[in-house]
Amino acid sequence: MIVGSLLSTAALGLLAGLVLGPRHSRLWLGVTLGGTVASLAAALTVLLGFEPTWEWSGAFRIGGELPHLRFDAISALFLALLSVIGGAGAAYSRDYWSDHHYPKSAGRGRFWWSALVLMMGLVLVEANGLHFLIAWELFTVSAYFLITLENRGRKVRAAGWLYLAASHVGTLCLFAFFATMASRTGSWELGPQLRDCAALAPLFWLMLAGFGVKAGIFPLHVWLPSAHANAPSHVSAILSGMALKIGVYGIVRFSGWLPTPAQAGWVVIALGAVGALFGIAFAFAQNDLKRLLAYCSVENVGVILIGLGAALLGAAHGDSPWGRLALVGALLHVWNHGLFKALLFFGAGSVLHATGTRDMSRLGGLWPKMPWTASLFALGAVAVSGLPPLNGFVSEWTIYLGLFDAGIAHSAVAWATMPVAIVLGMAGALALASFAKAGALTFCGAPRTKRTAHAHEGGAWMIGPMIVLGAACLAIGLMPALLWPLIGRVAGAWNPAWAVADAAPASLFTLGYVHVALAVLVVAAVLVLRRRSQTNGLRRGLTWDCAYAAPTARMQYSSGSFAGMASGWFFWLLRPERKVQRPHGPLPEGAYRVERVPETVLEKLIGPVGEGVLRVSTAVRRLQHGRLQSYILYLVAGLAALALLVLLEGTL
Amino acid sequence: MILTILYGILRLALWLLLAPLLPGIINKVKAWVAGRRGPPVLQLYYDLARLWRKGVVLSTLASPGFIAAPAVGWVAVVGAAALLPLGPAGATLGFRGDVLLLIYLLALARFCTVWAALETGSAFEGMGSVREVSYAVLTEAAILAAVLSLCVHSGGLSLAVILTPSAGAGAALLAAGLFTVLLAENCRVPFDDPNTHLELTMIHEAMILDHSGPPLAAILHGASVKLLLFSVLLVQAVLPLGDFSPLVATGVLAGGVLATVVGVGLVESLLARFAFKQVPFLLTLAFLLCLFALLVAWKGGAA
Repeated sequence: MIVGSLLSTAALGLLAGLVLGPRHSRLWLGVTLGGTVASLAAALTVLLGFEPTWEWSGAFRIGGELPHLRFDAISALFLALLSVIGGAGAAYSRDYWSDHHYPKSAGRGRFWWSALVLMMGLVLVEANGLHFLIAWELFTVSAYFLITLENRGRKVRAAGWLYLAASHVGTLCLFAFFATMASRTGSWELGPQLRDCAALAPLFWLMLAGFGVKAGIFPLHVWLPSAHANAPSHVSAILSGMALKIGVYGIVRFSGWLPTPAQAGWVVIALGAVGALFGIAFAFAQNDLKRLLAYCSVENVGVILIGLGAALLGAAHGDSPWGRLALVGALLHVWNHGLFKALLFFGAGSVLHATGTRDMSRLGGLWPKMPWTASLFALGAVAVSGLPPLNGFVSEWTIYLGLFDAGIAHSAVAWATMPVAIVLGMAGALALASFAKAGALTFCGAPRTKRTAHAHEGGAWMIGPMIVLGAACLAIGLMPALLWPLIGRVAGAWNPAWAVADAAPASLFTLGYVHVALAVLVVAAVLVLRRRSQTNGLRRGLTWDCAYAAPTARMQYSSGSFAGMASGWFFWLLRPERKVQRPHGPLPEGAYRVERVPETVLEKLIGPVGEGVLRVSTAVRRLQHGRLQSYILYLVAGLAALALLVLLEGTL
Repeated sequence: MILTILYGILRLALWLLLAPLLPGIINKVKAWVAGRRGPPVLQLYYDLARLWRKGVVLSTLASPGFIAAPAVGWVAVVGAAALLPLGPAGATLGFRGDVLLLIYLLALARFCTVWAALETGSAFEGMGSVREVSYAVLTEAAILAAVLSLCVHSGGLSLAVILTPSAGAGAALLAAGLFTVLLAENCRVPFDDPNTHLELTMIHEAMILDHSGPPLAAILHGASVKLLLFSVLLVQAVLPLGDFSPLVATGVLAGGVLATVVGVGLVESLLARFAFKQVPFLLTLAFLLCLFALLVAWKGGAA
């Protein structure tokens, strides 16, 4: 019963936020934080097993259907993340998107923020297909208004349009999915009972496409980079940290509830591997800090899908334990990616706030001015690269264990899991490269332009949420075994065969101890080395540049040159646009080299298809010109054709 | 409990003390092939002792992370070494999946080196970092393929289990692949030349140009531990140490490491550094060798 009242409190808080948002910023922040804390408590109550599930059905009809809400462990996992990011983002926006800086859009931003969080929460608890679609649409639209909060920029409007168009292609698939499901089962009710209706299996593909657009599965991710880059940073954080996860939620939810076709696991794991490697290859080649983060989300959704695909394969092969391990890794990665990606987007937002640019080739040397942001961004970079002792490693390690175990078990599935494990390793190495680049080029070295001269640290309301998220990343890294029962419960809700209450594997405990020891040793070693260097004497001098007398900031490696080598290996995929003017003659006049990595999938793949559709539509549109006479002619011709058809059928 | 901790410390001390011997042996082998006398085998110990007492010159651009990164990197490499079982002595802390922790600890060390290199804003150090992170993509694939082949062959997932039997029929492939990875990861010829003083052609040395004093000592010592780590890993992966009596196994392990190091020295004497454009091909070759070792292990298990 506690869960129900907590959820109602949360909903009330967010509804109050809708009302208060436009005018009263402080009250809004208070009720939003209160609401998210209540929903976090509700989620933890279910995850910790105090209450198994919570269900509620109304006695009135909305759109001809009785409202039906169901809150189980899977919903709780996602709601917990939504609460953390929703609350942290609200706090962050207090200074970042304040009434003082954005008098016109700040109030609107608060309104839509409450709406977005509320609608995502509603999607998570809906157990009626029709209402699910309504909540889904409202969530999509709220996100659109948040992306286009600063709607004067052309790029922002274009990004918003692209997002809206892509989302609706996905929604169209979902309409088809839910409607077909309703017609085959005779009701809009959603639930584990769907599993018994074998006729629903082919709908899996429709579901995967529909939710895949929102989740940003490669190559359906086309809306993602520009929307994330151009939205205000706290919005990018919730888009990347949570909105993508709502897509993942859909896939997790319905792959658990629906009967799955035999190829499902193979396809999902392949999509995951492709997304992980290609997503991070694109990320590494970006010059825009927020675009890099956005593409990295494509990679991380790929990692989650790898785990989920392995879980589907495991479930199809006699509910093998390695499938459960991979699933737990994937679900934990949902949390982890949400936490560190929100942290990194907040960091990028602070940089943008302080310097006015997202271009890494114009940044650099920010750490003396923004020490907190720099260190927290570095922490997030270590976490997102999947390095011990932080949380990213824990989830990737669990997924690896699942993949390796499948190989060791010598099942046919190993033909998928072993290559995928290798791909995951390569993606990890590229992620490390991308984030060494993103962090170090932004915050270290010499300032590349004068923009950084007036940079300043963000206020306490901007740093505070980042500290909370960073602490969460560290805590999950140091105490992974504590989360096992929570996530295990979610895995049990996904596949009842895996619903066994067991203690965390001993290796996870040991990993936690090793991480703690590592953290302690790291701190100790840093202190010793610093102490030793100071007692020996520290002297400052110019960076050694081979005795060159006049080094300038422009001689540093830039974002493009740093990525040059590895993205050269992916040129067939990235298709960079190059303009080169080589120096000629003994006294060359001008030489330049411009290189840009376009939105390749959008411009080279989706673009031409869209143009083709548009051309056909334009041609067909000529038939519709408003002349009544011709319309009557169409009718007569149509009737004649029908009559002919009937006559011919009689003769044949 | 106390005995276990004491034992662990003793093993760690062995790692830390023996590691700087390896670069000395390599240099001695190179000198011997070239007909020179060469520096003493203990040269690195002298260097480390001297650096530890020296002052530090910091770049004006360097943040506190510039000194912290070598410390973190050193802890990561030493932690990875501590995970490795030592022949008959086994592992101090074996658990399922520790092999992945080892790989990612080395990645953490790489992250730290690259981060510190980029702190200085030097073009040379940028150059070194680019090469380091880019080649790592291919070495990572090779290492994972090698580890997978060991796991599939032995049916285990902890270092102590997968390193006990020999690599079976794929041993030769695995040995060649892992040796190439060893050369690449430790920045030896033909990937990198630790002795050159031309910044444009270096990887590891180019990244640490601006380090001095105790942080440089930590970096150099960490690099030697990493070399020892890879040699021990290679020997244990290829030779069936579990089949011998403890005494013989210890001898074989020590002999194997020595042979590996001498091999590195010989390669370095007889081969020139490759052009950077050829390096990816060599690394791909290493990956393919490990991949074929994996296929052999897979087939062997199925039969």
